[in-house]
Formats: sequence, structure tokens, C-alpha cells
Amino acid sequence: MSEALLDIQDLHLEFDTFDGVAKVLAGVNLTLERGDVLGLVGETGCGKSMTALAIPRLISMPPGRITNGQILFNGEDLLQRPTGSMQQFRARHLGMIFQDPTTNLNPLFTIREQLVDAVLYQQANVKSVPGRWRGFLPSARQMRKEAQSRAIELMGLVGIPDAELRINDYPHQFSGGMRQRVLIAMALAGEPDLLIADEPTTALDVTIQAQILRLIRSLVHQLGLTVLLITHNLGVVANTCDKVAVMYSGRVIEQAPVRDLFHQPAHPYTQGLIRAVPSGSTSRGGLQGIPGLIPNLIDPPQGCRFHPRCPQVLEHCASQVPGPGAIGSDHLAFCHLYPEGA
Amino acid sequence: MNLRLYLARRFLMLAPLLLGLSLLTFTISRLVPGDPVGLAAGPQASVEIQEALRKQFGLDQPLPIQYLSYMRGVLQGDWGRSLYTRRDVTEALSVFFPATLELTLAAVLLATALGVPAGVISAMYRNQFPDHVARVISLFFVSFPAFWLAMIMQTVLGRYAGLVPIGRRFPVIMSPPPQVTGLYLVDSLLALDFAAFSIALNHILVPALVLSFGALASITRITRASMIEILERDFVRSARAIGIPERVVIGKYVLRNAFIATLTVISLNFGWLMAGAILIETIFDWPGIGLYAVHASLSLDFQPIMGITIVYGVLFSLVNILTDVAYGILDPRIRYG
Ligand SMILES: Nc1ncnc2c1ncn2[C@@H]1O[C@H](COP(=O)(O)OP(=O)(O)OP(=O)(O)O)[C@@H](O)[C@H]1O
Ligand SMILES: [Mg+2]
Repeated sequence: MSEALLDIQDLHLEFDTFDGVAKVLAGVNLTLERGDVLGLVGETGCGKSMTALAIPRLISMPPGRITNGQILFNGEDLLQRPTGSMQQFRARHLGMIFQDPTTNLNPLFTIREQLVDAVLYQQANVKSVPGRWRGFLPSARQMRKEAQSRAIELMGLVGIPDAELRINDYPHQFSGGMRQRVLIAMALAGEPDLLIADEPTTALDVTIQAQILRLIRSLVHQLGLTVLLITHNLGVVANTCDKVAVMYSGRVIEQAPVRDLFHQPAHPYTQGLIRAVPSGSTSRGGLQGIPGLIPNLIDPPQGCRFHPRCPQVLEHCASQVPGPGAIGSDHLAFCHLYPEGA
Repeated sequence: MNLRLYLARRFLMLAPLLLGLSLLTFTISRLVPGDPVGLAAGPQASVEIQEALRKQFGLDQPLPIQYLSYMRGVLQGDWGRSLYTRRDVTEALSVFFPATLELTLAAVLLATALGVPAGVISAMYRNQFPDHVARVISLFFVSFPAFWLAMIMQTVLGRYAGLVPIGRRFPVIMSPPPQVTGLYLVDSLLALDFAAFSIALNHILVPALVLSFGALASITRITRASMIEILERDFVRSARAIGIPERVVIGKYVLRNAFIATLTVISLNFGWLMAGAILIETIFDWPGIGLYAVHASLSLDFQPIMGITIVYGVLFSLVNILTDVAYGILDPRIRYG
């Protein structure tokens, strides 16, 4: 376990709402080793995005509150870091892209402005970047010029043609797929260790989706990235990821290499999930087909949150939260069918 | 469409606008019951004197001819004269108008310079101490009538503390900076006369501050609301997630987005302040267009009324054009057209 880049342990996150406390994350366990491309899947509202946003500490608190757990990055617990140093951490170690490339770029600034800032502020030793008003200083101009050639290089890396020209455009002059490439370039500007991608292709049409996923895959090889890829789509997982973690109502209930998960799903929820994928095709992953409703987060079921819907429910499922049970090497399930340590 | 073409078109559209405005004012000022000449000549004036006056001002002509000859004069730079003081309208406007413009501009600048940072800070610390302070202060100042605040500040800061003069633009015994724009602050800088600048600044500070209070409150409020809305946008989270420092996120990325709404409010406020200036001018004995306009309209002195209307019309149109250009500079998605 010592080589884990990211190790989330027993993470609990709550939100104060008007109806009561929503227990959004209730013990998330997730491990990424260097070089992993891990897919995080689960129904809508199960806490995938919250898990992702908890890592760079981007959840506003209040109303959010982390009540327990650790987020170990290279062995250091990010939750213990002073808030003020998180910006530096994000700049140096983290890249993040989101679902809708249209709303994630600032509409009022050119690609150059945004990309050059990304390059400048993610450099290890840059504390303050001279703004436009000090731009006449030769040193500042030199700095921006260097950052700009790096920006153009990054645009080439993510496959934007005519980068020297297009860098002067505004986001609305780019197509959706190209905008997502720009955002990837911005995320990669500081040569991060970890790229978190929260449904990066959901807002794009199918052919563009495939291109973006192929790009991410190729960047993993070129740059030695580690990727946490959040998706609804089991097809995306099958094509893009090496490992997969399945979430259900605020917990990871199974983590395994992609092959193992598809061939020997251990958790009854995962089994339902795999069965729900139309046979003969892995390109569309539906998460329907499991009877019952998604649990309420304010008053969730005790014990295993899946037990009211579980076809193989045991007596103690309703009272005890299951711990990790090893199924194979690298394959864990959090289910009483697989007792801890077995 | 490019900026130059757009500007050319906007300025061309000014012409019909001003034509309509002048026609409307002309008609209204002539349809109002009352006899300006009778008022001007005085109760003792004989019929002959009244007739002579009427003839002198061209009032014996049919209305369309009067309008045409007035407009010809306007185009040639002769805007007529006051029935009472016989003072040239252009001459009077060149004295009074810059005073009002300077007061209004100073108030707008003050309101922006104070209101935008207050709004930004309120949004960053929403519902925390700084936000409450800003809210209480702005509530305090908008809740009191401007004339009352004006007199309080005049009395406290001017009379008792002696920090500022209690009125006027410039000491009576001194001559103001040589007129270029008519704005003393600008003219004194152009003349490199910093003593005159500080004297002018000292005179304008309190009246401009009092005049700015209403605008200050609305600029603070809209900036706060707009900042809060923009802070929720996805691109803010994205910028934070890749490690852009908070001060850049707020001061550069969010503020420019939020400022679009603020700009609208600033340009609206400009009009309100111009109107509100009349009251402040009275209190601070500010030699602006306010008293001139009040006198002219009370005595149906139509040529000054026309002149003032046209100047205001041009000014508001210019503010509108400037605002639209600024939108286009702020937001690249806006096409001029
Ligand atoms: N500020 C908040 N207050 C209360 N509940 C919240 C808040 N933010 C998120 N939640 C809840 O947290 C849960 C997890 O949200 P999250 O966005 O992580 O889901 P997700 O797995 O990413 O879903 P999706 O697939 O739809 O993106 C949701 O049920 C949501 O209602
Ligand atoms: Mg999500």
C-alpha cells in the first residue's frame, strides 16, 4: 500500500440542510496507485462528485462538514493541511476537469489569458504573477512570453490544431470538444500527478466523447498521469480504465481491476449493475434494472445502505456496516457475504 | 461589425433623436399656458414694449418658422438668449453645465470607487461581519434624505470642523484655472496647477460624496449580488481546482463578469445623479445648471429650456453609447450592431 498515490480512508461528509443533516459520504474508501486509471461509477446522487471535490478541498464548509476520515496523498493527509496551502497543492499536484466544457471556461477571457494564467500560477516557484499593469517590466514580459509558448505547446499536446492562431480566440469561438481539450491543457499545465475528470464527456456528442477519452488515455502513457475518471457509463470504464470502484449511496462498495469486475462482480449491487447493461454491448451502461429506490441521505438505512434492495440480504446487514472483504488480488467488496479478512 | 462603423452609426442616429427631442420641447414650451413675454416684460410694460420684445425674439412669426429659425441658429452656434437676463444661452451653458457635469462625474466616480470594492468584499464575506457592516452603512445613508445629510455634513465638516469649505466650486476671491473643459479638476491638472487642483478637490468632495450616496448603495448592492451569482459559476470552481490563487479568481475572473451588471447600474445612476444634482447644488451654492434650469422653467424662458434639454439629450445619448461600447469591450460575445 505504500506506493499508493491517493488513499481515501473512511471519508465521511455531511451537509446541513433545512430538512436535517444529509450524510452524503458515509465511509468512502478508495485507493489509486501511481499510473492507475480508475473509473468511479454509481447512480446519480451517490456521491461521486463530492468524493472528487473533497480531494482538493473544494467543498464549501459550511454547509459541508467532513466528520471523519483521511485523504492521503503520497502519504500526507490533505485534510490536515492548512487551508492556505491548498491552492499551492492544487497548482502543483492536481488537475481537474468537469462535465460541461462550455460553463467551465470563463467566457470573457481569451484562451491565451486563461491558459497563460494556468501555466504561470502552476509553476512551482511562482508566487505572484505580474499583471497587465506591470507588464511593461521586461522580466514580466519575458515571463508571459515563455508561458505563452508553453501554452501553445500544451494546446498541441491536447490536439488543438493551429494553436498559434486559435490561442487568441474566445471560448465561444471553440466547439465543445475543443473547449474540453483546452480545459485538459489547463489542468495539465503544471504537470500534475493526479488528473480528476468528473464526467468529462457526458456533455459531448458520441464521436467527440470517444476522441476525448482516447486523448486522456494517450496522455496517461505520455505523461505518466494517474487518473480518477468519474462516469455513469460502464462502457467508458471498460474502454478507458484499468480499475474501477463502484459507489452506492455515499460508500464505495467494490473496487477491482476492470476485468475482474465485469467477469466476477462480487457485490450484489455490482452484479445487478452488470446485468443491467444490455447484453452484447458495453457501450451503453444503464444503471437501472435494480428494484427499489435510491436511499434518502438524511435518514439512510442502517448497516449496509443497500440492504433494503439486496436480493441476498443477511440478518446482520441491517445493523452492521460491512468492512472490506478481499475477493482476489486488488479486488475488494464491502459486503457481509465476504467477511473481512477472509 | 467593427467598432468604428458602430460608433458612426450610433452618432448618425443621434441626429433624428435630437431633432425629435427639440421638436417636442419646442412644442411643449409653446403650448404651456402663460405668456413668457408678459412675464419677462413685467406688469407695468405697455403693449408697445411687449410687442417690441415679441418682435425682437421673433415671437410674432408663425410657430413653424420660429422653430426653423431656432434650429438654424442652433446649428450655427447661436442658441438664443434668455428673455430675462438677455444672457446668451451658449454662454450661460458653458459656465453652468461643466459645473454640474463635474459634480455628477465626481459623484459617479466616488460611488464606483467605493461601491465596487464594498460589493466585492460583501460578496466574499457574505453574511459575515464585513458584509453586515457594508449593509448597515449603505442602509444608513440611503435611509436619510440627501438634502438632510447634505446639510448635516455641510454644518459638521464645513462650519464646525472647518475641514472643507461650506459651498461653491472655488473661492470667490480667486480666479479658477483657465477654462479648457470647464471641469476645474481637469483644467487645473492641465495647467499643472496643483494648488488649484487641491482647492477644487476640497470644494467638490462633500457635495459629490452626498450626491453619490444613493448610487453608492445601489452599486454596492448590485456588485455584491452579481459577484455572488458569478462565484457559483462552474469556471470559478475550475479555476480554483487547477490552483489559480483566490485573489486572481476573484479580482480578475469573477470581477469582470460581475462588472457587466454593475456597469448597467452605473450608467442608469448617471442620469439620476444629474437630476439629483439640482438639490445638492442649491444646498452647496454650487454654480451649476440646476438653478439656471429651475429659473428658466418657472418663467417659461424657452430658449434656455431648449438649450438645456438639448445638452442633456446629447449627454445621455453619449453615456448610452459609451456604456454599450464598454459592454462590448467587457464581453466579447456581444456584437456591435
Ligand atoms: N450543498 C449540499 N447540500 C445538501 N446535499 C448536497 C449538497 N451538495 C450535494 N448534495 C447531495 O450529495 C449527494 C451526492 O452528490 P454528488 O454530486 O456527489 O452525486 P454524483 O454521484 O456526482 O451524481 P451525478 O452522477 O448526478 O453527478 C447528492 O444526493 C446531493 O443531493
Ligand atoms: Mg456528479
